[in-house]
Amino acid sequence: MSLRRVFESQPDRRYIMFGGKGGLGKTTLSATSAFWLARQGKRVLLFSVDPQASLSDIFQRDIFGQGPVPIVENLWAQEVDADRRIKDYQEEIRKKILDMYGFEKVPEEIDNYIAAASAEPAMEESAIFDAVVDIIVRGDYDYYIYDLVPLGHALYYLSMAKVYDEWINKITKLREDMRQYDQVAATMRREDTVQEDQILSELTYIKERINASSRILTDKTRTAFFFVVVPEEMIILDTKKAAALFAKFDVPLSGYIVNRILPADLGPGTIPPYLQNRIAMQKKYLDDIKGAFGNEVLAYVPEMERDVTGLAMIERLARRLFEEG
Amino acid sequence: MADEAKPKKKGGILGVFRDIVYGMSSHEMTRHAVRTRASMEHLFILITMGDLLGVPILPPYYSLRLLPYVTPQIAGWKRRMLRERDVTDVLG
Repeated sequence: MSLRRVFESQPDRRYIMFGGKGGLGKTTLSATSAFWLARQGKRVLLFSVDPQASLSDIFQRDIFGQGPVPIVENLWAQEVDADRRIKDYQEEIRKKILDMYGFEKVPEEIDNYIAAASAEPAMEESAIFDAVVDIIVRGDYDYYIYDLVPLGHALYYLSMAKVYDEWINKITKLREDMRQYDQVAATMRREDTVQEDQILSELTYIKERINASSRILTDKTRTAFFFVVVPEEMIILDTKKAAALFAKFDVPLSGYIVNRILPADLGPGTIPPYLQNRIAMQKKYLDDIKGAFGNEVLAYVPEMERDVTGLAMIERLARRLFEEG
Repeated sequence: MADEAKPKKKGGILGVFRDIVYGMSSHEMTRHAVRTRASMEHLFILITMGDLLGVPILPPYYSLRLLPYVTPQIAGWKRRMLRERDVTDVLG
């Protein structure tokens, strides 16, 4: 089955992710797919949360931290600026404290806590996670194409939903128990019902958002996850391991895309031994890939004669990938 | 928690009678419920704001979301968590 058939036969799969080790062409393939889908008249958001995001590079314009930026008709690209997001979020919390208690300034101890929490490494990751949740639950595009960071991180993001969900469940349960004690005390004192627990509503809000996003990301009918591989030994081994790990987290793996294939017409004629070796080696690993992933391979993408950057090059690759088969 | 000992309801002789019955029957139970509730509150803050004591438990992004609601409790909570315990703790 070709990549085009996969998109056409599963129109409900609106969340598309490309994963794989660094430098294999995830960004190239996500940009190319996004471009092609936009050409088919779908409204597409291509987004990345990588602090070293390469969408700006591939589209050759600076879009970092600017929200969804229109690239061509029907195509928007977005690079999330996690630092900015954390700063805005801190400010929001401070303002909320001031508003709730009518303080002139945030108490020092609390302010220190806000600053310290934001300096933790986990903060950036959860802020990014939350940014993705934000983008996904809004649901106002036909397609969401997620240019993932390299594998380890990708897995981390996807597993985060599960971990957070368990945490929030426990805390929510505790909060609910507390509320019961409130009610018992209130009933015995013959008071009217206890006031609404705002913390419980906050927790419920967080929980619903996390649930909504993890429901989407693990739903095979709505989400497709493509692995990008190249015909090289280490990459193949790594991909097999990663695929096993992904299965554990219920990530719906939808197929493999083999990138960087040397053009077949290089074969005949006199070519230097170095290239001959490379071609023979690639052939061997291509056979390995066919053996390991078989008909789960959706596309074999040729190595282009130059970098895929800029719209003209993306368009060419899109034609190769989707039109010429 | 200071008002737990003096129910505020007024209502003439009937109200006084009701308060007496309350004091004799369910005051202890109420007190117990309120105390348990207070302990749980401390546990809750430990879980969500553990970072303040150097115990990171909840992912900080989400614990910050809850911070505004527990701001008034933070000072008392830290004192309770960090103070030394002695035999008087089991009394009262």
